[in-house]
Amino acid sequence: MSRRSLRRQLTLLLSGALAVVWLLAAVVVYQRAHHEADELLDSQLTQVADTLLAFVSSGEIEHVVEVLHEHAVHNPVPTAFEIWYIDDDKPRRLAASPGHAGFESGLADGFSERQHDGARWRFFTAWSRDGHYRIAVAQAHAARERLAREIGLPLLVPATLALPFIALAVWWAVRRALGPVDALAREVDALDPRALAPLGGNALPDEIAPLRDAFNALLPRVTAALDNERRFTADAAHELRTPLAALKVQAQVAQRATTDDTRRRALDQVIVGVDRMTHLVEQLLTLARVEPAHPAGESAFDPAPALAELCAGRAAEAARHAQTLAVELAPDCRIVMQPAWFEVAARNLIDNALRYAGEGARIEVRLTRAAEGCRFSVADDGPGVPDALRARLTARFARGETDAEGCGLGLSIVERIAQLSDARLEFGAGLARPDGGHGFAAALRFAPPG
Amino acid sequence: MRLLLVEDDRLLGDGLKAGLMQAGYAVDWLRDGEAAVAALGAERFDAVVLDLGLPRRDGLSVLQWLRARSDATPVLILTARDQSADKVRGLDLGADDYVLKPFDLDEIAARLRALLRRAHGQASPCLTLDDIVLDPAARTVTRAGGPVELTGREFDLLHVLMQNAGRVLSRRALEEKLYNWDDAVGSNALEVHIHHLRKKLGNDTIRTVRGAGYTLSGSAS
Repeated sequence: MSRRSLRRQLTLLLSGALAVVWLLAAVVVYQRAHHEADELLDSQLTQVADTLLAFVSSGEIEHVVEVLHEHAVHNPVPTAFEIWYIDDDKPRRLAASPGHAGFESGLADGFSERQHDGARWRFFTAWSRDGHYRIAVAQAHAARERLAREIGLPLLVPATLALPFIALAVWWAVRRALGPVDALAREVDALDPRALAPLGGNALPDEIAPLRDAFNALLPRVTAALDNERRFTADAAHELRTPLAALKVQAQVAQRATTDDTRRRALDQVIVGVDRMTHLVEQLLTLARVEPAHPAGESAFDPAPALAELCAGRAAEAARHAQTLAVELAPDCRIVMQPAWFEVAARNLIDNALRYAGEGARIEVRLTRAAEGCRFSVADDGPGVPDALRARLTARFARGETDAEGCGLGLSIVERIAQLSDARLEFGAGLARPDGGHGFAAALRFAPPG
Repeated sequence: MRLLLVEDDRLLGDGLKAGLMQAGYAVDWLRDGEAAVAALGAERFDAVVLDLGLPRRDGLSVLQWLRARSDATPVLILTARDQSADKVRGLDLGADDYVLKPFDLDEIAARLRALLRRAHGQASPCLTLDDIVLDPAARTVTRAGGPVELTGREFDLLHVLMQNAGRVLSRRALEEKLYNWDDAVGSNALEVHIHHLRKKLGNDTIRTVRGAGYTLSGSAS
């Protein structure tokens, strides 16, 4: 089990907390027992003193010694004593327990504690009612402690023996409580990645059920993403087949050509085909690369310089087809997007216009600034795209009804970039044409940097 | 043999047209389904090479339209989809064969020969007329076992005549089968080819039927 294991953490925490509580309880129990023992022994001291006083007052001193001796033998805490007779302020020691040097004089009446004979003792001193006899009884502190311990410790034994069982019970309870987590893990583990089924287990605890529900809610999205990838792979394979067939056929035509002219023409077509395949593969790679890999660290930037450079680079291409490329860039626009992605998106939109607007078309590239954010648009006066077709334009490998070469991935790429960058891709009517119709326009609308 | 090629991809269509012309066919190439329907409605072709993914009108729809008017012109389908459901659908709609992209020109040519052979009810790959044997695959002709050297156009002309042995073909019908829309057919080009064929195979091989056209004399087997 790792350090992050819930089971291990719960077992350790619960056992630890229980041990601390147990220890505190043991200390309290022990102190209570000790206190009880003290009180018991104190009442014994006063009893002995009372008994002695009673005997002494009735003149049975010898009897006293005998009783005390017996007491000393049978009692786990031997009691020592001294008896004085006081007359005319002259105290005279009548008797003392055997084996004792005399107690110090000047003992306070009642209970007191004092050093005696190199150890600590507890004393009780009392007077007879007529004031002639004074009696002191004492017990060695060590003996009293021993007795208290003997009473207190046995109380702790069963509790101590219970400790391992408590730990075991905690471990079992934790394991049982976390059982559904294990079951859920096994269920997830057994899932077939090609056919993700929702997790069952209606009897899940309240803490885990939300996890399962969230997982189940995620599944359709994961499945959709997987399907999308699968379809894309199939589409890509399909789209690669036609240019491959063209390459092979043109190469075979070149191989069989009987005249140099035919051969040269076919070989030219092979080169055109390779260029087209290269474009297709590059677009595929771009699409694959536009993934939410670096969502963080995007800062707002002004896209105008990149756009100006891009359009300048396309001027020759536009001139070749007698197209007019009009560029109008508002200053101080700030957009939030990966600059490299913006360039890919802008290049695709501009290239689309150049490719599909046709010979002699007018293409307007605009960057405008408004309160609700910046807008980048490319509009042309080409043949346009029917409304019915516009919605499908961002589908991969979709092309408008056109004769122009293209692989149908450009707008998919722009759409993907827009999605990942909190921008919106919009299509609309382009520039007015002399015949009353409109060309095509595509625009990226950016959220204001916030 | 006159073929209609319907393929929207510019490069592939161009290559196929060139390759099939090298194989001796007169090829007309169209790039969308509506144009194909218009052409098929107006003229007769010996076979159609049809791509499925076409703009304006899908290849399968063109095929359906063709079969709906009881036109039995052999159709070879070109497809980039390799799911068998697509093939089954194409064949069920009346296609005679299909080829998966990318393909080999030789394979297309061989399949077309087989289609044309079947269309003319011919079992053997070679055509014979008395002692003349024509091999469409090798594009060779032998007479009494000895090779006869023919130009491409002469071979195609003989091929058409042998396929229609016993029938009289008009000059116009022959021209339609031998030339595509781009060929500028000279007013006496056909006569020149007939003349050469007669010189190489014997004067009495091709008979002129006055006012009707040409036919082969002799018996085919």
